[in-house]
Amino acid sequence: MASSSGLPFDPRVLKAPHPVPGAPDNWKRFFSFNTDAKVIGIQYIVTSLFFLLVGGLLAMIMRGELITPPADLVDPSVYNGLYTMHGTVMLFLFLFPILNGFNNLLIPPMIGAPDMAFPRLNAVAFWLVPVFGVILMSSFLIPGGPSASGWWAYPPVSLQNPLGHFINGQFLWILAVALSGVSSIMGAVNFCTTILRMRAPGMSFFRMPIFCWTALAAQTIQLVGLPVLTGGALMLLFDLSFGTSFFRPEGGGDPMLYQHFFWFYSHPAVYVMVLPVFGIFSELFPVYARKPLFGYEVVAIASFGITVLSLIVWVHHMFYSGTPQWMRNLFMVTTMLIAVPTGIKVFAWIATLWRGRLRLSTPMLFCLGGLVNFIFAGITGVMLATVPIDIHVGNTYFVVGHFHYVIFNTITFGVFAGVYHWFPKFTGRMYYEGLGKLHFALTFVGSALNFLPMHWAGLMGMPRRVASYDPEFALANVLASLGAFLVGVASIPFILNMVSSWARGPRAPANPWQAIGLEWLLPSPPPAENFEGDIPTVISGPYGYGLDRPLVENEAHYIARAQED
Amino acid sequence: MSTSPLLSSSPAPTEPGHGGHGHAHGGHNLTGMVIFLLSESVIFLAFFAGYAVLKSSSPVWLPEGVEGLEVREPLVNTVILVSSSFVAYFAERALRRHNLWAFRALWGLTMAMGAYFVFGQAVEWAGLPFSLQSGIYGGSFYLLTGFHGLHVITGVLLMALMLFRSFLPGNYNNGDAGVTMVSLFWHFVDVIWIILFVLIYVWQRS
Amino acid sequence: MTTSSPRRFPIAGLFLIAGAVALDAWAGVAVARLSQHWLPVQASSAAPLVDGLFALESGIGTFIFLGCCSVILWTLLFNRAPKYDLRNGDPIEGNLRLEVTWTLIPLVLVMAIAWHTIQVNRTLATLGGKLRTTGGHDHGAELVAQLPAGRSEPLAPVGPIDVIARQWSWEFDYPNGVRSTELHLPVNRQAEFRLISLDVLHGFYVPAFRLKQDIIPGSEITYRLTPTREGRYRLRDSQFSGGYFSTNQTDVVVESEQDYRSWLREAALLPLQEAPNPADSLYQRRQERGDRGWAVVPPAPPPRVNVSADPAALHDA
Repeated sequence: MASSSGLPFDPRVLKAPHPVPGAPDNWKRFFSFNTDAKVIGIQYIVTSLFFLLVGGLLAMIMRGELITPPADLVDPSVYNGLYTMHGTVMLFLFLFPILNGFNNLLIPPMIGAPDMAFPRLNAVAFWLVPVFGVILMSSFLIPGGPSASGWWAYPPVSLQNPLGHFINGQFLWILAVALSGVSSIMGAVNFCTTILRMRAPGMSFFRMPIFCWTALAAQTIQLVGLPVLTGGALMLLFDLSFGTSFFRPEGGGDPMLYQHFFWFYSHPAVYVMVLPVFGIFSELFPVYARKPLFGYEVVAIASFGITVLSLIVWVHHMFYSGTPQWMRNLFMVTTMLIAVPTGIKVFAWIATLWRGRLRLSTPMLFCLGGLVNFIFAGITGVMLATVPIDIHVGNTYFVVGHFHYVIFNTITFGVFAGVYHWFPKFTGRMYYEGLGKLHFALTFVGSALNFLPMHWAGLMGMPRRVASYDPEFALANVLASLGAFLVGVASIPFILNMVSSWARGPRAPANPWQAIGLEWLLPSPPPAENFEGDIPTVISGPYGYGLDRPLVENEAHYIARAQED
Repeated sequence: MSTSPLLSSSPAPTEPGHGGHGHAHGGHNLTGMVIFLLSESVIFLAFFAGYAVLKSSSPVWLPEGVEGLEVREPLVNTVILVSSSFVAYFAERALRRHNLWAFRALWGLTMAMGAYFVFGQAVEWAGLPFSLQSGIYGGSFYLLTGFHGLHVITGVLLMALMLFRSFLPGNYNNGDAGVTMVSLFWHFVDVIWIILFVLIYVWQRS
Repeated sequence: MTTSSPRRFPIAGLFLIAGAVALDAWAGVAVARLSQHWLPVQASSAAPLVDGLFALESGIGTFIFLGCCSVILWTLLFNRAPKYDLRNGDPIEGNLRLEVTWTLIPLVLVMAIAWHTIQVNRTLATLGGKLRTTGGHDHGAELVAQLPAGRSEPLAPVGPIDVIARQWSWEFDYPNGVRSTELHLPVNRQAEFRLISLDVLHGFYVPAFRLKQDIIPGSEITYRLTPTREGRYRLRDSQFSGGYFSTNQTDVVVESEQDYRSWLREAALLPLQEAPNPADSLYQRRQERGDRGWAVVPPAPPPRVNVSADPAALHDA
């Protein structure tokens, strides 16, 4: 489209809020209030990866402290702040935002929608993240330092406020977490409305990609659970700053009430994090085994089984707090029940691999590693559900090992798998496979070395959250610290790969993995409105590998259109 | 560019391909509001549960010298607030019949009743013998009624916005989802109040 | 062997699977036996029950883990696509019988484990009633401790011993007035405690006993346990309590009835003295260095006791 300026495009498109076909790559849009879900998705992902490094740095200092028994690297008060912020940053500034980033990138193309249901709400939800990120990070700089009561912020410790300032680390922490909740609820309303109302013609629920099922299941949990955390956080804030006594025993309050409010959300929260990754595994295994997802309908329904069960297990975090026996038995039963829908998914993935034609690209390696790690984590989870065992290992490094096996060795592996798998689609470039495989190898070995010994230390009685420990735990800690440093080193090939591939990697075709799905019928990267008015009609279920059935009507037309760019 | 980003049911000019999708967007907005209200009700449910647990398990509930709450004035406020929901319903009906002036009158009446409720609550607060810091009772009372009051104020403000928009020509060309959404919010606020009233004012003895 | 049927079960395959399952089961049993080595010595009546459950779940878990991993390994070895081969795998979308099986078997398995554990819980019930101190409202006493079947109890429980947790020290007050920062208990006799916190949440945790109970400020918790092995064991604060929480550890000395009684007698004669307290010394050192570091609550004054724990003593677990 020639214009009087002599450029091959109309220069006004440079100011467009979203990418316009024909315009040069406009990097400024990633730093603006842009309403395009693909831009927002990348904003979320890059921001999250930055905070992954921040949280990781905090972990490196912690493991440096813990490599020797005495607290000789940092003051114990500093250690307490470090581990608190490590957990908080990793959960609220890395995991939740990056999963929202995936939702933004994947949901509209996967269901054939042009964008999210509420694009401006979407952008607001993203921009809250750097805002509360800055608030949380600023707590490092104020007198007294950041919150140091753990990411649980249990009262009365979280109410102690030694310096007596009104603005203190705990205050900023509560504010940041509350804003995070607001951002997440905005996202949840958006994602649910989009999935419920904007699917392409012909896409019934049981023709919808499994990632959208798990996203819907996870966001439902957010909607039901987050308000309870917000309520508890509000009450904590009032106790801390306005003199109320909801949780202060001397004022007639009950510290245990906070635990119920907190865990009613925070347990389901882990399913909010793991369900999308289950979705990623379910999407990727068919592609890299070139086989349909085994038992797709059952796997889809199991996602909602997990949603429902996740809301009735929270007391398993309080088995040793003083809960009555009947409560402990009840919640043990419900917690063990979750193993059933989860097991269904694990067996379905293994069955998907069976008699497939496996390609061990980087995304597949992370999926396989994540799957193996998850089986282990699930087993230690059943052990933790068993009340007498939990009474012994609760609040010890056994729990730390277990949940890191879930959060890092499963969920973060899934996140990496998703990043590599969809990188070509949304950046238009291929990543370097060699660096990807190196990243996997270092991460797999490092994370195993980091978190396996922790189970042993916990069984022997090492409590968690300690800056110093008895000498008998030294070996386990040395191994764990070495593993952690290896994981830290593994981030180098990852960052190098991401940056250099996006800047100057080879151009990616529309469907580099020969995968089946609506997003692969779009160019890489997709244009502003994805299918732009020419939305395909879906005529069969997903994952039709080897079944010789087209996904949409007039498939050849869409394939040709995607390759035109 | 449209005014309110969250409630707009008219397509943004810079987004191509959305011309005929006004009604679909209205439907999205309504779905979104329903989902949001379901979620928001959970925070109130959590507070109700906390209130109930604290009240039934605490050996000391009422602060020193406090025997209970006066019910008459709050009951009047309650009647006014709940009636305002019916007034809002009639306002919506008038709008659907394209009777703009009837809509504006009834909608304004709803706002006045809501504002009176807030005023009544403030008066009640000013006359109470206990404060936010008066043990778990004071904390719970002010937190619950205050949080609800904030929602009432938000509702009145949203209604003011809808009232203002009713004066813009061609505002309802793509449907009245905005008014429906705010109405829904208002009904929600009322239902929450009914439960709150029963919990705090009716259930006063052990 | 020629046949025209579309699907045959090779006998060799069946043997292979049976062999693999047997090997897997053997590994499970081996790990169940090994699991004892990953735990501290058993020093209470609860420990064998807890360890038994752990062995059971380690064994079953190993069986499942190795079983799944073997299948995955098999696919990695025998189902790899050659480098540029983009052909599809077997287009199997599901198998209802298989899916029902792998739903029902785990369901039955976890419910069996849960049912068994509920029986173990009954045996283990050691929690007394949780009483609130503000106003003396009895919150419903729980089922009182049962000893495992077969063990007779000739003597009344020791105690009640007040376990006072502070930021960051432990104090044990005996019924005869003795105060100590080291917990002494007679072997094979039930001990009763009143768990009290003077400030924040703490955790009463003795790994060798396999027992843990959070201590809640504003409540007094009655707790019972029976040590079964003489020795010196660590008692650690397990619920994060701020600041110098990691130093809030002391020892439990389980000794014969005679040694216990003589200790109690001699302790009563010793004068009350401030016990040495690592949290206190760390805090003093921090103050001397200019109070550098992030906000920390000043430690509570060290307890004044007849007997202090010996920081140099070696513990068994």
